[in-house]
Parts: sequence; structure tokens; C-alpha cells
Amino acid sequence: MASLGDLERSVMSLLWDGGQRLSANEVRDQLDESLAVTTVLTVLSRLEKKGMVHRERSTRPHRYAATASREEHTVEMLNEVLGTVPDREAVLARFIGGVSDSEATALRKILSK
Amino acid sequence: MEFLALFLAALAFLLAVPVPRLLHQASFRVRSPWTAMLLWQSIALAGGLSLVGAPMIYGLAPFGDSLLEAVVTVLRLLTQEDFAALEDLDVHPTHIFALCLGVLIGGHLLLTLARTYIRVLNARRRHRQLVGLLSTPLAQEQDPETAHLVDTHIIEHDAPLAYCLPGRTNASSVTVLSRGLLVQLSEAELAAVVAHEKTHLAQRHHLLTMAFEAWYRALPWLPTTRYGREAVLELTEMLADDGALAESSREDLLRSIATTGSGEDQPSPDAAAPQAQGGLITGARLQRLLLPPAPLTRTASLGIASSALALLAIPTGLILIS
Repeated sequence: MASLGDLERSVMSLLWDGGQRLSANEVRDQLDESLAVTTVLTVLSRLEKKGMVHRERSTRPHRYAATASREEHTVEMLNEVLGTVPDREAVLARFIGGVSDSEATALRKILSK
Repeated sequence: MEFLALFLAALAFLLAVPVPRLLHQASFRVRSPWTAMLLWQSIALAGGLSLVGAPMIYGLAPFGDSLLEAVVTVLRLLTQEDFAALEDLDVHPTHIFALCLGVLIGGHLLLTLARTYIRVLNARRRHRQLVGLLSTPLAQEQDPETAHLVDTHIIEHDAPLAYCLPGRTNASSVTVLSRGLLVQLSEAELAAVVAHEKTHLAQRHHLLTMAFEAWYRALPWLPTTRYGREAVLELTEMLADDGALAESSREDLLRSIATTGSGEDQPSPDAAAPQAQGGLITGARLQRLLLPPAPLTRTASLGIASSALALLAIPTGLILIS
């Protein structure tokens, strides 16, 4: 039995990989036929609230699409880890944060001796 | 109360300028990071207290002999437009000005702290969502004996990366490792990385650094805030290294640091810039791993710890009994 978090991940994967707009029924059919459509709708509206999914309201039934590609989200995430995002140090603590590349190179030399 | 105001002003100056200048490179910090951390925390609190307290106590002085009496008088006078009373109390415009200054500084510090806290929490929640959607829990990939890796997530990226994302509780905190790191590190080195990150989370380092981030934002021109922020970030790394050393060997830890600091495959070309000038690179963290210094003696540690407590207790106590 999958948790909501797992379902969210599967739904996003489906929308990312397919790259097309899907209705809740189509998501259910492609994901797992045993799922209730209401569950899929819950997951989709949660994802919409998180800004991960865009709902097209002009059609019936509503169709859903990913707001940005998997790569774009990965870049957003990594920017917070590596980039010059304000509050970066406050948001996360990093293992590599303490060591510069030159120090790391020097350290590798010492260790390989 | 004027003497107290003068004392607080002197303390505020000492804690704002010369003390941080001396302390941020003090050699005892590598021998006992936790006492240095304690000292910094109490410098920040005592410094903020005396910075706000000095003008307020001075401004309150003509209104009463004790702090409580003066505050009550001021509040009473605020509700009635009794200018004659001000004259009777011998209130000079500088007293009013000092009171306003104290309220402004205090408000500025508290508001900046609140704003930083909210912004950081939002950024963390957003990042946590992305981690949830873009990563896979490590435990699923491996056998059940890696139970300590439950809240460790893997993102699909080639650069060797490891970081942790603090949550409200330890249970909602996650450690994130990149695929590149998993590929490049041995099992033992990986354990050192995870132990390092778990120490950050277990000791709640994000709370110890939060106030320093906020103070730096509020008063960036003050040496305390800059030195303090850098020193505290460095100390959290040293403390996390010590936590990792409790479970892993020194060599595994050093090897994993050498790998994660790799300049190859950096996805963002300007990534090196903030690290190089971020102030974290004092070298002290690596030096103490390569050539472990003798830990501070028990007496010395206790001495520093009690001075840290005294530093905080003395101004607080003096204000309360004034």
C-alpha cells in the first residue's frame, strides 16, 4: 500500500515522462487500475497546491500537466544547494560547505600519499 | 540607572567590536568547538540585550528609581498628555530620544529575526517538497539492515553532494545524498558522511545559526554579526565532524570530504565563488582533522563555559534588579 508521498512521486513521474496533459482517469489508468479516482484527484490537487501541477479548467474533465520539467525542478533544487541563493546556509547545512576546491585538492594529494 | 546604562553601553561596544575580532580566530575553538559555540551564543544574546538595554535604561532613568516603576510611569504618562509631569520628572529630550532608539533597535532585531525565520522555513518547506518528489529514499533500494538510512534520500545528479534539511522535528528532517556521491564513496566513507549530517540534525545546528543569520541581516556593518555568522557556521562543521568521528574513522571522514569538495562536474560555474569567499574556508576545520589538537582540559572548558554563562547572566541580572 503506497503512501500519499509515494503516489505524488509516481504521478509526477508519469506527467514528467509523458509530457502531456492527462485527466485524472487517464492518470489512474496508466498508474494503477485499482486506485480510486478520488484518491488520484486528491493527489493531483495536493500537487497543484504545491505548484507542481497546472490544472486546465477549460476542458471537461479537467486535465493536468506538470508546471515545469523534472530537469527544471532539479536545477531549482540544486541552485539552493550550490548556487548563490540568499539564506542558503540557513536553509540547509552542507557537508561540502566547509571545504573549498583547492583545499579538497590538497587533501586528496595528502591522502593519496 | 545611569551607571547601568553606561555599563551596558560599554558592554555592547566590547561585544560588538573587539571581542568578536579576537574570538573568531581564537585557537581554543579547534580544541573545544562546543565551548566556543556556547561563548558565541551568549555573546549574541548579551550583545543584543545590552545594545537594546543601554538606551532604554538611560531613557527610563528619570521616570523612576527601579525599572518596573519607570516603565509603569512611562506607560501611565503615555495615556495622558501631562507635559507638566515631564517637567517635574526632569525629563530631557535626550531621554525621550534614547527610549525611542532602544525600542527601534529592539524592534528591528526582533522583526528581522522573525522575517528570517519565516523565510527560511518557507524555503525549507519548498525544498522538502522537491526532495520528496525528485528523490528516492535510500532505504527502499537497500536491504533492511540499513535501517539508520531511513530518512536518507538520493537525488539523481552526478556531482558529489551531501546536505541535510532540518525539519520541525528530527523525524521530519532528511539527509540528501547525490547519486554521484554514492558512486564515488565507499560504504565506510558514506557512513561518515551520513553520521556528519545526522550530527547537524541531532544537535539542531540550524537553530544555533539562525539568530546569527538574522543578526547579520539586521546589522551587516557590525563586525560581531559577520564574524559571528562565519565562526558559528565553521563551528557547526567542526561539531558535525566530531559527531562523525564517534562512528567513523578519521581517514574515512577525510576521504569523503576530499571527494565532496571535488571541483569536477560542478553543475554551476559560479558555485566556487560563494564558497571561496564565504569565510568558511579558514582551513582550521581540515587542519584539526589532519593533525588533531589536544582537547581543551576540563578546567579550561568549564572556565570558558562559566564565563559564557556569566556574560549572559550579569547584564540580565543587573537589568532585572535595577
